[in-house]
Amino acid sequence: MPSAIQTRLLSKQYDSLAALSEFDLDVEQGSIFGLLGPNGAGKTTLIRILTTLMRQSSGEALVEGLDTRSQGREIRRLIGVVPQENSLDRYLTARENLELHARLHGMESKRYRRRIDELLELMGLEGRQKDFPDTYSGGMQRRLVVTRALLHEPKVLFLDEPTTGLDPQSRRAVWDYVRSIAGNMTIFLTTHYLEEAEQLCDRIAIMDHGRLIALGSTQELKGRLAGGMAYEIEFGGDAERYAAVLGEMACVREVAVTGQTLCVGLEHWECLSEVIGALNGAEVRRISLRERTLEEVFISLTGKGVRE
Amino acid sequence: MTLRGSLAIWRRDMLVLRRNILSEMVAVVAYPLTIYLAFGIGMKGYIGLVEGVPYGLFIAPGLITMTAVNAAYSESVWSLWFHRRVQFTIDSYRVTPISVSEIVIGKILSGFSHGLVKGLVVALVIFAITPFRFPLDNLLAYLLFLIPGSAFFSCAGVISGTIMDKPETIGKVEAVLIMPLIFMSGLFFPLSSYPVELVPWIRALPTTALFEGARQALVSGSFPLVFALQVAGTALFTFVAAVWIFRLKMSE
Repeated sequence: MPSAIQTRLLSKQYDSLAALSEFDLDVEQGSIFGLLGPNGAGKTTLIRILTTLMRQSSGEALVEGLDTRSQGREIRRLIGVVPQENSLDRYLTARENLELHARLHGMESKRYRRRIDELLELMGLEGRQKDFPDTYSGGMQRRLVVTRALLHEPKVLFLDEPTTGLDPQSRRAVWDYVRSIAGNMTIFLTTHYLEEAEQLCDRIAIMDHGRLIALGSTQELKGRLAGGMAYEIEFGGDAERYAAVLGEMACVREVAVTGQTLCVGLEHWECLSEVIGALNGAEVRRISLRERTLEEVFISLTGKGVRE
Repeated sequence: MTLRGSLAIWRRDMLVLRRNILSEMVAVVAYPLTIYLAFGIGMKGYIGLVEGVPYGLFIAPGLITMTAVNAAYSESVWSLWFHRRVQFTIDSYRVTPISVSEIVIGKILSGFSHGLVKGLVVALVIFAITPFRFPLDNLLAYLLFLIPGSAFFSCAGVISGTIMDKPETIGKVEAVLIMPLIFMSGLFFPLSSYPVELVPWIRALPTTALFEGARQALVSGSFPLVFALQVAGTALFTFVAAVWIFRLKMSE
């Protein structure tokens, strides 16, 4: 599958700060790609370079095979952008916002009127098209921004934290819509919500300090932590003693104690029978399998410290 | 470069102006009208003739010109700042296939158009309520000052709106630079009132060329070529500077 987005040794330097450092990425055409990272990791810098809002210091970035440094206008014809801020014009009605965007894309009026009608109906906004965005709920404003980004039928859609600030219902409505358009275009998504990435993305990249630190499917990323599996064992008592016993076993990667419950990470699932044997005679009340969450992967890779 | 993007942005700004035309006009007319009533009527008994014309008539062309250029400046500076810093619409324009130059030219055109529309409205009000009249033949010469003058102030507004990130800075620049430049340029008094040694400096100001030239064109029908070239040259220079500064800022 050809690449929709490709970066090679992409770097961006602000004085002494490296916002992006030799960043390599390939995003397949038609896929939903998620980019995760803590605040200040370089996500916004990357998206601004890919959408031609910013120039890199060095390296190469290609969108649909076009170079961001020399073919910006051609790239902007092919992309739709949903920025973090709504960036709607509050002095224009919803429909006028869309008409302005269509004119900036050089669309013929006959074509854009029909397309606006279709999209407003699809997004459930046709009844409010003559209202100003300030009168919309947060979810409706977000839907309008997505509508605007899709108006000119882009090949690559950039969604920069598309559901930040939305209630769960509105968030799920945006997810449903993203899923419904997937396949027709490449979707590049940044998000703070790990559940969102897990629900939507075919592949996920985790970045920090301007560098790519992990890349793969959700399952592949989870597999990086203790084989991806952990078991919770609840005892009637003596949990600390059994934690020490299990901690000395070669096939046990990690043991965490919470009250009378141990969370045991194993090297491989075959090791479970050894663990059961070591617990012979213990007052075990419950053993359950706990799948690693993407959040645990994220925290293990980027640390627990709060970023400014 | 095409001007498709500039025209789309200009069209948007004119739609918003049209929608708010009444409230805009009340605000625009109030300021020069107050000045005219205070100085032109209140002070005329004390001042008498200035350069051979009654004081009320002496200041009328300047008030029309001031309204136009002030409106051009204000529209450009506040619009650009608001779209860049508050509404983030400039970024939404920048991810469409138009160039940065098209955006800035659209904003300059909008400021310029605001200036002309608002100047015209104030002119109509002044004609309606004062005895100020001028031969229609003088209008063309006057417009040759007003049009580049509005363009100059619109470009200056774009520069301010591009480089200033805080609204209070914009207000300070208006107070310490724009208004003094307008008021010092012979809007309310003849240049002969200045000490002789200051006059060459005052005449070198582009605003003096604009207000003095516009007054002479409208009242006496003359066309001071040096002043006209000075205003046109300044407009061209600020246009190039505005486009360059905006492009530079956007590339940061």
